Amino acid sequence: MANKKALRRGWFGRTVSYVYLTVLSVAAAFPLLWILLSSVKGKGEMTGDPTAFLPKAFTLDNYTTVIGQLGFGGNIVNSVVVAFSTTLIAVAVSALGAYGVVRFFPRFGKKITRVLITTYMFPPILLAVPYSIVMGKAGLMNNRGGLIIVYLSFSVPYAIWLLVGFFQTVPLEIEEAARVDGAGKLQVFAQVVLPIVAPGLVAVAIYTFINAWNEFLYSLILMNSSGKMTVAVALKSLEGQEVMDWGVMMAAAALVVIPSVLFFMLIQKKIAYGLAAGSVK
Amino acid sequence: MKKINRFKAGMASFCFILPALLVVGLLLFYPVVSSLFYSFTSKHLIKSGCEFVWFENYVRILRDEEFWSAFLTSIKWTAASLLGQVMVGFTAALALNRIRRGRGLYRTVLIIPWAFPSIILALSWKWILNGVFGFLPNFLVKIGLCDTAPQFFSNSNLVFPTLVFINVWFGAPLIMVNVLSALQTVPQDQYEAAQLDGASPWQSFVHITLPHIRVVVGLLMVLRTIWVFNNFDTIYLITGGGPAGLTQTMPIYAYNTGWGLKQLGRSSAVTVVLLIFLLLVCMLYFKLLDKWEQEGA
Repeated sequence: MANKKALRRGWFGRTVSYVYLTVLSVAAAFPLLWILLSSVKGKGEMTGDPTAFLPKAFTLDNYTTVIGQLGFGGNIVNSVVVAFSTTLIAVAVSALGAYGVVRFFPRFGKKITRVLITTYMFPPILLAVPYSIVMGKAGLMNNRGGLIIVYLSFSVPYAIWLLVGFFQTVPLEIEEAARVDGAGKLQVFAQVVLPIVAPGLVAVAIYTFINAWNEFLYSLILMNSSGKMTVAVALKSLEGQEVMDWGVMMAAAALVVIPSVLFFMLIQKKIAYGLAAGSVK
Repeated sequence: MKKINRFKAGMASFCFILPALLVVGLLLFYPVVSSLFYSFTSKHLIKSGCEFVWFENYVRILRDEEFWSAFLTSIKWTAASLLGQVMVGFTAALALNRIRRGRGLYRTVLIIPWAFPSIILALSWKWILNGVFGFLPNFLVKIGLCDTAPQFFSNSNLVFPTLVFINVWFGAPLIMVNVLSALQTVPQDQYEAAQLDGASPWQSFVHITLPHIRVVVGLLMVLRTIWVFNNFDTIYLITGGGPAGLTQTMPIYAYNTGWGLKQLGRSSAVTVVLLIFLLLVCMLYFKLLDKWEQEGA
């Protein structure tokens, strides 16, 4: 009797869940879909019938305009260089740091969540003032190297947070066995520990890359000549131009958002795990 | 000899964390101290040199009506966004936890907003909600819900709820994913035992689910509060604080003071007040979290 009731309840709950999730999924996917559809519609299609869904005449003109006439390719190169360098440096620094904390300074490790949350509390707009002053003095305005240094400020704490969770899963015995064989600390780290956490490390690297690729505020403040801009700031300045063509804008937007979404889908499970594991003291 | 070896080993261990310490020290703690210093000076964005002016910047901003309205807007923005994100994220996680087939697919689609860069977040919604050619305003007119296309960004009654909606859209997936992984740590046999004892689903939720996940959810709330409160991009890129300063939050006020009026010293004072306020709020949160942890979660 009770079992039947429970079964019925389960069926009803699941149906409601499916309906609810479907509604949410439509809302979650619509903007991405709309960007893509708008980017391949012909001139005048969107002003003619704003609610029409599919393009009447499929065209890639908007994309050729973005790359060819607006020089967006250069901005993409800037963003790739900055995001890639940030990722390399941040992951190296954070992997060493997170492993060091977990293995050699476990007492500090208990406090690390609080320290990282404290740094997370520093408003980016607060940091922006000294960054712009120091970079101005050092002659690193409009310089990709300067931007990369600044990007370490948010990518390193994030990466440490995530990596601590992964390093904690490495059993001490494996390392001790290697130690007995006479391997040094760095050797154990590079040859024994890193391969074990490699999947986590890759996920963290991709996440760092996405965050650097997506960043806006520091880039706005430090990169103001159009040739040096990253994609986010270049898009903002494109939007400020007098004659704005939404089709062209959406083509540029698609080029920026698609890598983020694809990469993110690849690593979402690992990141969720890392966030949870890193928050356990 | 032994001592030297131990010292050497200690140094080697320290070398692992040295680069990270340098980054955190030079790129995070030093700038905060330096901002604190600049907040007492008349530092200008372009002119070089500055004078020490003691509390003049603080007096000036605390007397500025615009500062207080930005402060209020920030609190409303944070509270409304967080409430919406938690409600949508939490219910979505519960729904995902309930279904069997298609969980991976739904999850993958539902996290799309999380990956959106702020500039694309702004551009895509500005385009969808555009008052002339936007999809949604025209759609609402077409199905007869509105007589004329609603102006989501220039109508003073609509603009704030619209921004909150966009921020909920963006932030709910993060809550959902984290709550879902916390839900999966709750031991299933406890639910079965409760069901045998005749507990209703609501009772199981309150007495089994919530106590298990509240520490994770609590920490998540701390992080989201900080993030939303400090967030500059979303509002700056969508409305720029307008119309007529209606959606100007503290970070935007600080930006306008520093890069609009070029008063970096005064802008620093605003950001220091912002940080102090956040520290106070987070101390309260941590007190609560500590209490929960001691009670055993």
